[in-house]
Amino acid sequence: MALALVLAGCGGSASTGTNPSNSYQGKTIQLGAILSINGAGGVYGPSSQKGMELAVEKINGSGGVNGAKLALDVKDDNSDKAQSAQVAQTLIQQGQMLALLGPTLSNSAVAVHPLAENFKIPILAVSTTGIHIVPDCNYPKTDPCKYVFRDSLGEEAAIPANIKVYSDTAHPKTGVLLVANDDKFSSDGGKIVQNTVSQYGIQLLDTVQFSKTTADFATPVTKAVQKKPDVIFITSLGGIPAKIMIEARKQGFTGQFLGGNGFNTAVVSKQAGADGKGAESGSAWYINNTFASNAGFVTAYKSKYNADPDQFAAQGFAAIYILADAAKRANLTFSDIAGDRTKLRDAMESVNIDTPLGRFQFTSNHDVKQTIWIIQMDGNGGFKLVKSVTPS
Amino acid sequence: MTQQVLNAIFIGSIYALFAVGYTLVFGVLDVVNLAHSAVFMLGAVITYSLVVLHGMPFLPAALIAIVVCGLLGLLIEFVALRPLRRRNAPPIAALISTIGLALIFVAIVEQATPGTPFSWLWQDGPNSVRFPTEAVPNPTYHVAGLTIEGTKLGILATSVVLMLVLGYVIRFTQVGRALRAVAENRRAATLLGINVDRIFAATLFVSSALGGLAGLLFGLAISDISPYIGRDQVELKGLAVIVLGGMGSVPGAVLGGYVLGLIEVFAFVRFGSNIAAGVAFAALFVMLVVRPQGFFGTRLRERL
Repeated sequence: MALALVLAGCGGSASTGTNPSNSYQGKTIQLGAILSINGAGGVYGPSSQKGMELAVEKINGSGGVNGAKLALDVKDDNSDKAQSAQVAQTLIQQGQMLALLGPTLSNSAVAVHPLAENFKIPILAVSTTGIHIVPDCNYPKTDPCKYVFRDSLGEEAAIPANIKVYSDTAHPKTGVLLVANDDKFSSDGGKIVQNTVSQYGIQLLDTVQFSKTTADFATPVTKAVQKKPDVIFITSLGGIPAKIMIEARKQGFTGQFLGGNGFNTAVVSKQAGADGKGAESGSAWYINNTFASNAGFVTAYKSKYNADPDQFAAQGFAAIYILADAAKRANLTFSDIAGDRTKLRDAMESVNIDTPLGRFQFTSNHDVKQTIWIIQMDGNGGFKLVKSVTPS
Repeated sequence: MTQQVLNAIFIGSIYALFAVGYTLVFGVLDVVNLAHSAVFMLGAVITYSLVVLHGMPFLPAALIAIVVCGLLGLLIEFVALRPLRRRNAPPIAALISTIGLALIFVAIVEQATPGTPFSWLWQDGPNSVRFPTEAVPNPTYHVAGLTIEGTKLGILATSVVLMLVLGYVIRFTQVGRALRAVAENRRAATLLGINVDRIFAATLFVSSALGGLAGLLFGLAISDISPYIGRDQVELKGLAVIVLGGMGSVPGAVLGGYVLGLIEVFAFVRFGSNIAAGVAFAALFVMLVVRPQGFFGTRLRERL
């Protein structure tokens, strides 16, 4: 019962409120999610799905959206761009979806988001952190996409925030960047580091590029460590940041590791172990935040799935509450789906609710406006909070 | 630079150890066993599982893993190779059936999370893990600005000793002579009274045991154990190594391993990552054009 109260609070105004819009009563709000359950994105998609399904269950369990039920249809795109577009097409053609969520990978978003924009159906990205997601979904065309939103904190915000926080206290003079050059996420991150460091008086001594399929990181790490930098920046995915940290410590590097979203999972922290202790990054979410909207989410997630949630689950969960809040305020008609979609889109622009990510709003570009959590690996597979950076 | 030479020698030893198993099967059975990379991965995964999930000390765990990998070699022989040989299927059929086994092995590990049927083997799904530092001590020495790790020295010593032993067995023992007879001419070997099937099984056992050993040493030295280490990190390089060394030649695979390690590292240092892989495979291409039989290989048998 206490849990239910916490969760009702956490949804902000999404659950049954005072608004007597009885046109909602007994209706169903259809949402469609395009997620990568299998394939390369299969490490992220299932978490997003679990977060979303938990949110739907909680909202429906406490009266729905002004009495209307949420229904979520999750479709797997197999981490494939073409399948992703095809799945989106199918969901759109059903004609019942009020809004879409996803897709999991930035690579697929390039195909799916312009499609949603074209059909004037709001789409909320939940895990894409790359550049040119919002507002320029038709990049290289720059005119803003009106129906595309995201609730996943971009690396363009997280990496500079982290570098600033570290520089303010430690004042490093030199750095070396280690960057994977064969995927968009990593190389985008590398560019952001290169464009940021000089603002904080850090001289980049070298940029060492490597391939994700490098077997032994001794070679690139030797190249970096021999420059004797104060900081090693790592922008890469999966187990690679951990492997680099382990190797660099073996080779006697005693400086600081700074990175991006690639640091932010317990798996990476666990693999790095003691060698990763102190490695710092900017994150969209921090599991041990004690404010009610996060504590309630973490407890409910653990009891439903018997496992700790991750950032993707938190962003998926938040996405459903964001859509529910917008739907509640949108005065939906439930008869004119095209009109309802536009109303929902308009209402999404003024979302301002508490989520597990913190207080959440969209910027005028439909990007994330939330607190950035600067976290450090604790050497035991977990993280501790260093600082929170509030949005300007 | 000296550090980079050491780096090249260490990674070269792992390539060599992996490729020796590959080339042994090719030399004797005339098939490329593409399940070898999956056995390599299982060598690391089984050792990790015994140490971390079942609380065993490292050395006995490693020995058990090596034996289990050898037994998996027998499985490959009995399931993927022998039935096809009985029907005189073309070598491409064996290639495909070993790919199939590799996919199954990888999928078993990839799907294993707590609560699934294979959680006794692996619990980390597609993620990458490392041996706990207390389970395997890794004394690291810093000599004259160089970093030398105990585990990597151990790997170097193990690889060299094993490859010498293997070379001795093949050259100078009765089993080795039988092995070479089978490789030379299957029918003649049968007529000489050699049990060809038994030689095949023994070859797969030894080859896979070496593959498993290479895998667990890789997991130890590189701190990377995941369902994909065979497929992503060594499979193609192993093929490159045996082409460099000469298909079917054991000393060739050893030399090829070290040469590929050196080429990769020097290309990386000199030209950076974009060109490094290209340089390694350009060297391979040059080798194929200039000396298609590799360092030590005999004439390349035409199949078409």
